[in-house]
Amino acid sequence: MVNDSGQLYTIEGISAGLLMIVTAYLVVSSTTVLTPQDVHITDVQLEQLGNDALAMMDTRNTYTGPRSPLQDYVFYDDSTNKSNFEQQFLLYCNSTPFGRMDDLRFNATIHYINNANEQSFYTYYEPPGYDYYRENAVKVSRWIYLEGKPPNSPVEDKPQIVLMEVLLWRA
Amino acid sequence: MAGLNDDAQWIVLMGFVVSTIIFILALIVSQSALVGQTTSESVLEFSKTDIQDLRSEVIFLKEKGHLDELDLIYDLQNLSMGRKTAVVEVDNWTDVVSRTDFVYIHFNDGTTSYSETYEEYY
Repeated sequence: MVNDSGQLYTIEGISAGLLMIVTAYLVVSSTTVLTPQDVHITDVQLEQLGNDALAMMDTRNTYTGPRSPLQDYVFYDDSTNKSNFEQQFLLYCNSTPFGRMDDLRFNATIHYINNANEQSFYTYYEPPGYDYYRENAVKVSRWIYLEGKPPNSPVEDKPQIVLMEVLLWRA
Repeated sequence: MAGLNDDAQWIVLMGFVVSTIIFILALIVSQSALVGQTTSESVLEFSKTDIQDLRSEVIFLKEKGHLDELDLIYDLQNLSMGRKTAVVEVDNWTDVVSRTDFVYIHFNDGTTSYSETYEEYY
């Protein structure tokens, strides 16, 4: 005949073990704020980063200076200025305290009002050989005052305000 | 009382304590997920940077003396409505007695409304 006099102690032992495991799991997982439900936290940080980068680029070097670097890049939109824009934006966004660069990608479009009084846009910058696919991205924007028509753009030749939108994602 | 067996009291009490503790811990964990989500969602929805950007652009236009060119204001209003679904109003006037320039800036995107009258002495 099977002896079952230790059954209750066995049950208590198992429940005590379960309690320890569950407690350890809950303590560890409750200190990790990033749960699958709130990917928005990284979106907030990415959006702030992109907006700060654009704001820094849109600051004139002197108070009396005619244009900010960002206005220069858009107004003289040749390949040199586009690569300057790329390098400066990537430097501001991808710098880390460890010296190596982070891996953020972006593209930039410019929205304007065309001569038929409708909204239109053109692509200012795309990462070479790497287009946006399906990554989790945020959009940041900045107003830019143009004195005339940038040479390689479809914009009308008059003083106007355009909106630069930058789509930023982590590759 | 003869015949009442109370040997298992300790174990039953332990089982009760264990289940209560697990229940309370589960409550705490479910709250932590909610907190992170609602905070970051409200941060995303608040159009802080849009307002800062509009403000710096309008003050830039004022410094350069372009604020009376209505085409520029129309560009701001149309692009705001089309790309940010936000109503923007910019107006400026001068008071010669107190030698003050006033610039009125208004922004409303449906959740956040912002109005400011910027003053500058000349």
